[in-house]
Amino acid sequence: MAELTLSGVCKTFGSLQVIRDVDLQIEDGEFVVFVGPSGCGKSTLLRCISGLVDITGGTLEIGGQRMNDVPAAKRGVAMVFQSYALYPHLRVRENMGFGLKVRKLSKPEIDRRVEEAARTLKLESLLDRFPRELSGGQRQRVAIGRAIVGNPEVFLFDEPLSNLDAELRVHMRAEIAALHKRLGNTMIYVTHDQIEAMTLADKIVVLRDGQVEQVGSPRDLYYRPANAFVAQFIGSPKMNLFEASGLPADILQTARPSAAAIRAGLRPEDMQVLGAGEGPVSGRVVNNEYTGAGSLLHLDLDGLGRCLALYNGGDSPEEGAEISVGFDTGRLYWFDAQEQNTEVA
Amino acid sequence: MTRFQSPFVRICWYLSLAILAVPFVFPFLWMLSGAVKSQTEIFSPSLSLLPQTWHWENYAEVFRYQPFARQYFNSLYIAVVVTAGSLFISSLAGYALARIRFAGSGLLLLMLISALMMPEEVTIIPNFFLMKWLGLMNTHMPLILLPMFGSQGVMATFLMRQYFTALPPELEEAARMDGLSRFGIFWKVALPLSRPALAAVGIITFLFSWNLFLEPLVFLSDIELFTLPLALSNFTDAYGLPLWHLQMAATSLAVVPILIVYIAAQRQIVESFALSGVKG
Ligand SMILES: Nc1ncnc2c1ncn2[C@@H]1O[C@H](COP(=O)(O)OP(=O)(O)O)[C@@H](O)[C@H]1O
Ligand SMILES: [Mg+2]
Repeated sequence: MAELTLSGVCKTFGSLQVIRDVDLQIEDGEFVVFVGPSGCGKSTLLRCISGLVDITGGTLEIGGQRMNDVPAAKRGVAMVFQSYALYPHLRVRENMGFGLKVRKLSKPEIDRRVEEAARTLKLESLLDRFPRELSGGQRQRVAIGRAIVGNPEVFLFDEPLSNLDAELRVHMRAEIAALHKRLGNTMIYVTHDQIEAMTLADKIVVLRDGQVEQVGSPRDLYYRPANAFVAQFIGSPKMNLFEASGLPADILQTARPSAAAIRAGLRPEDMQVLGAGEGPVSGRVVNNEYTGAGSLLHLDLDGLGRCLALYNGGDSPEEGAEISVGFDTGRLYWFDAQEQNTEVA
Repeated sequence: MTRFQSPFVRICWYLSLAILAVPFVFPFLWMLSGAVKSQTEIFSPSLSLLPQTWHWENYAEVFRYQPFARQYFNSLYIAVVVTAGSLFISSLAGYALARIRFAGSGLLLLMLISALMMPEEVTIIPNFFLMKWLGLMNTHMPLILLPMFGSQGVMATFLMRQYFTALPPELEEAARMDGLSRFGIFWKVALPLSRPALAAVGIITFLFSWNLFLEPLVFLSDIELFTLPLALSNFTDAYGLPLWHLQMAATSLAVVPILIVYIAAQRQIVESFALSGVKG
């Protein structure tokens, strides 16, 4: 069993506090994604779990055992690095068997495990190559293979796809999801890409400045963001925020936000773009980004300012066109002065 | 680089390289030719590289004139010991300076770098007294200890440190996850990846030791203990004037190990470049 419990975990580098008091419960077999903007401490938190970095406060338990002072190799975790970190002087076979050899497993046992992992990842024909003779996607698979052979309880991935091109990224994303289904291990995955987070995760942990902003399923975070930061970080393009005072009175009356709400959020996919004079708020199109299936419109609304709207269909309004917008009041989010969502406890 | 150029451009390249080679290659050929000429013919006005009469006995004379074989062996074993010792010390010290955080490591590095600026002529007098006090006069120890622990050793350590610093830290973290100790990481990951740096340090150290002149001159008095650079300057007639034909014959023998090192290292360097071409 490999559930993880982090309680009050802190990490400081000198005087710089990078991880602040993180409490987190991860169930056995769960696929958890740490997501957040660059520099928020995702990698550091992952390294705290792996043991590459010592935590400076709080406790970390894996499978019910305190792991604060257990060396990295003895925690039952394996890590896949962003740069793959394959040993350039060793062949694929030796790369994958390296950790087993260090742990003094017998040669036939190492061969058996390496070949089994190679079969799982379709690497059989590459076993005798050097890393420099592999493509990016193949190196990525070898890095995953190196993690698999040790039968770890927990897999840790640090932005494993960010060095791949867009097409391969989508492909490898699906492979990692399939691997999780097949192996059923606990996996913790770091990314700054919220699409990767949404598609892979059972549970997303949103981090900002070393603190947990919200933990929940992708749907939770999309429909019930705890605050404006999460609301804007999850979903693409990001949510529009308006000053509540700028909204037409009848919308405020229908929606009946709590008294504390000072800002309203509406996702670009929920904006209804109408002809001039048809909707309650008028404005104009500043820019029209045609994407094929539809268009991303940059709008300038009277009294509300700049915002984004997704327009489905081919006949989108031209740049400079006068338009108006309608608001589906059921889709509005309300945030108070502390940026908290007034409708989520 | 030249692979995609037109034949004309390539011919121009080779031509200019050939012309540039003349000032480098000619003195070498002149040495080989002087080694089989008589003393008088070397000074004859004809600059022919081919001697009128071949004096192969010059080579035999080199060994008769002084214990040249013994001196050759001295140079060889000292250079090997110095090279092996320097590689051992500089790789360990360089790794420590690059990767291990310890109190005063920055200051230590600064001191080492400032030692690089000190020419050996400046330290030869204190080193002389030090070696005398240690009772190492007229032995090979100063020729081994001074290059290993002097500015040459510092240079080697600094080179290794720079190379280790540039290795991707994620590789060593992967090795930690795989269960290697600090020394295991050094030995099984960092060192095998440093072959280009080890080759470079090995070559410059070997050449430095091989060419060392001041230290043998200062510390050795026994002709049996001489190393080649000192021995070469010792082929003189009764009036102290150089016997050029013997010097050239002896020098052509003295460059053989250097040529071997270069040829062997060339392969190593190309191989190492291919190795370091991998980006993790
Ligand atoms: N070894 C370290 N020493 C000092 N500061 C560090 C170290 N590692 C990370 N940091 C700092 O911690 C912060 C978070 O880094 P990181 O966890 O890599 O962010 P992320 O992976 O979310 O982009 C950054 O400000 C970074 O500069
Ligand atoms: Mg990171």
